[in-house]
Amino acid sequence: MRKKRITLLVLMLLINEIFTTGCWSYREVDKLSIIAGVAVDKGINNQFQMTVEIIQVSTGKDTNMTSKTITMEGKTLFDAARNLITLSGKRLYWSHAKVIILSKEIASEGVTEVVDWYNRDSETREDIHMLISEGASAKEIFDGQGTTEDIKSFALDEMIKNQESLSKAPIVDILKFDIESKTKGVSTIIPSVNLKKMEGKMVPQIMGTAIIKNHKLVGFLNGEETKDLTFIRNEVKGGILIEEMHANNVPTLVSLKIFKSKTKFTPVADGEDNGNIEINLNIDTTVAIDEIQGTENIFDDEGRNELEQSAENTLKERIESLIKKMQSEYDADIFGFGAKLREDKAQVWNSVGNNWEDVFKDLKVNVNTRVHIKNSAVLSKTVEEGD
Amino acid sequence: MLIIYLGDVMFKKYQKRKPESIMNSKETNNDVENNSLYKSLGNNISLFKNIFENDETLIIREFQNKRLKTAQCCIIYFDGMVNTEIVNENIIQPVLSCDLSEDIESDNLLEELKKKVIVSNNVTLETGINKMVSSVINGDTLFLLEGYDKALVISSKGGQARSISEPRSSRVVRGPREGFTESIMVNLSLVRRKIKNPDLKFKFKEIGERTHTKTCICYIEGLAMEGILSELEQRLDKIEIDGVMDSGYIQELIKDAPYSPFETVGSSERPDVIAAKLLEGRIALFVDGSPFVLTVPFLVVENFQANEDYYNNYIFSTMNRLMRGFTAVTSITIPALFLSIVTYHQEMLPTPLLLSISASRQNVPIPTAVSLFIMFLIFDILREAGTRMPSSIGQAVNIVGTLVLGQAAVEARLVSAPVIIVTALTGIMTLINMNFISATIIFRNFLLLGASFLGVYGFLLCFIILYLHLMSIRSFGVPYMMNVTRARNHDGQDAWIRAPWWTMTLRPKIIAAKDLVRQSSRKSKEK
Repeated sequence: MRKKRITLLVLMLLINEIFTTGCWSYREVDKLSIIAGVAVDKGINNQFQMTVEIIQVSTGKDTNMTSKTITMEGKTLFDAARNLITLSGKRLYWSHAKVIILSKEIASEGVTEVVDWYNRDSETREDIHMLISEGASAKEIFDGQGTTEDIKSFALDEMIKNQESLSKAPIVDILKFDIESKTKGVSTIIPSVNLKKMEGKMVPQIMGTAIIKNHKLVGFLNGEETKDLTFIRNEVKGGILIEEMHANNVPTLVSLKIFKSKTKFTPVADGEDNGNIEINLNIDTTVAIDEIQGTENIFDDEGRNELEQSAENTLKERIESLIKKMQSEYDADIFGFGAKLREDKAQVWNSVGNNWEDVFKDLKVNVNTRVHIKNSAVLSKTVEEGD
Repeated sequence: MLIIYLGDVMFKKYQKRKPESIMNSKETNNDVENNSLYKSLGNNISLFKNIFENDETLIIREFQNKRLKTAQCCIIYFDGMVNTEIVNENIIQPVLSCDLSEDIESDNLLEELKKKVIVSNNVTLETGINKMVSSVINGDTLFLLEGYDKALVISSKGGQARSISEPRSSRVVRGPREGFTESIMVNLSLVRRKIKNPDLKFKFKEIGERTHTKTCICYIEGLAMEGILSELEQRLDKIEIDGVMDSGYIQELIKDAPYSPFETVGSSERPDVIAAKLLEGRIALFVDGSPFVLTVPFLVVENFQANEDYYNNYIFSTMNRLMRGFTAVTSITIPALFLSIVTYHQEMLPTPLLLSISASRQNVPIPTAVSLFIMFLIFDILREAGTRMPSSIGQAVNIVGTLVLGQAAVEARLVSAPVIIVTALTGIMTLINMNFISATIIFRNFLLLGASFLGVYGFLLCFIILYLHLMSIRSFGVPYMMNVTRARNHDGQDAWIRAPWWTMTLRPKIIAAKDLVRQSSRKSKEK
């Protein structure tokens, strides 16, 4: 009797378990419409216009993967997302989406409002890469031609990932965006995407940065400025520095490949009421010579020192000019100086944090750069032409 | 009236069949003159003729000594059960030709023949008919002499037996190539040749009320636990079965977890394996007529231990053993994991994999879960067909199996290619652990069922049930999963890995608790 009761109890618990789990949804993969990317535009009547790129798998002798875009409008983003089913028929599957593109208009009105649904829904993922369309509308990016992949979202995803060896656009996914936008004393950035005309086709190109201040888009940085930005943010993974040398009065361009770079900044606050805030910025970069457009000898100590010196100066100038630009044009602390100050000197931050924008405007930043040349790749000398 | 009549008829019949009834009914045993012979040779011959009525393999050969006419004798044996050379040259020929003088006391003749004439390694003087009958059945020769109510039982076992050869069920590259045969005495000798120690004990026991199958419990005194030994004997005593054809009967009858697909009694065809297990303190059970010798206690790790592991380099052996363990786990879990991820948790797949699975699923009408079940059924059909069929048509089955069921099914879009891949992979991995196969198949389908209803959750639920089941089994008091989950001290030395021989200084705990030290010299050196 007792055994019977225990068995019944276990059975009851097991049956309850079955109905209380969230995974009661057997679905075959071929019944899903897998979404590769999402684009959000401003539609008519201030509605959201959502465009999704759906992967279309067709099988015959070989498997073909193409994509199709569907556009639908809705009062909210979720409304638009569900309305899409009226066109697609199949259930949309969001977990494998790679990019979300926001149009300039949407971003100017507020980014956080848009990504809230994406954060909240259970099927959408936070590791999706964010992009802001600078020129064209977001939808048009999907209409462009991919150069390597048929599915545009995947091509964009690859482009973003390979920015590591270029550093001309930041890599930002929704999770990182969330964290940064919730952190005080830093303005967020999102890479920007453009359509570039190539052989009569429009090809998406990811270059530059969109500056988001108080959840709203305020402006863009170009690719070179973005590289300087990543230097300050300590996010450099690769990329090149181009240096002009003037030995023998002939201008020679040298490409330096960045191996690693370390940026450290320390806020210094002294004077009465800690009113005098300064940031000491130290950048330590290791590079290798990868290309020399000339025959000039830079391999002896002297030549190398000269090159290092000049590279340091160039880098310093560029970074200073970017900081100046941000201070004068946007008042947006995209570098995270405020956040660092809050981290290191909380008391100072408490007194200036409320009007950090004003403080940032006149913030003194002491830039100190250091460039080490590690080697000259696989050649030890320049290739000299024989007589 | 009728009852009396019937009783009368039966009584008459009973009287007529008196001598023969010894083997058939116990009641009459006492009736045959207290289980003893007549003095007259002729009567004795007819007695045995009656006992073995309708058995034409019985040979009764009468002869007499060339000198002593009174020495009339007779041998009784079964054709095919004896070595005829022994009978001819060691029994008949000496008795015929020996010079028996008249002055031998007539009531001493049988003793004289036993002592001086008959050339045999084992001759016993018997008086009981039952003993004689069973000896004759076992292949001995019965020697009867005129005027004696006693008989000599002369060992002359022979007959055709399979010679020792490499077992087909487990071949090795490195290691002894001998295997057990169907003859229990040969099998025992194979083990005794490996363990030359008086502590090696053999206890015989007959099982099977009709077959009287000889079984033998073999153990090393001082290593084997008495508790396990007495438990084994107790379980064997409880067996009441008419016949035992193979050790498999006993394996199932003495099993600890009768409803579990996991074996708790081990079996091996190799003398080196059995000897090694005896040295670990286990107890072996030999069954006549079966080349498979049982061992108890049997733990789950023994499924993954191959004898070659101990003969090869320990790194290589460890690799192989890990692979066996890995394939055993994966052959149970992979189909269920595949199913639950593909049909419930697509987000867990990398995007390119999801796309290729999606591509192969296009236009396939049968759901993934059902197609997996069907494919496994087909695989098991093929496997079963492969084991039973004659080898000459194996190729045809292979072609049908691979081409028709594999390629054609995918091309006809009946099943998707990943399902076929999973089936084939799992099938091959199942075959690596052949002694595990029933449990693998049953639990694979069990997990698959869970996964098809509840996804990863159901898979985990069923996996936990499987794990708890394994944890709950004991084999003769020893936990079935012993040493699987522990690596402390010497516990893990011979479970997932095969440790180098110089580190395996201890025998497995519990099983060989009486004397744990295997390499004492090393132990003392280490200290």
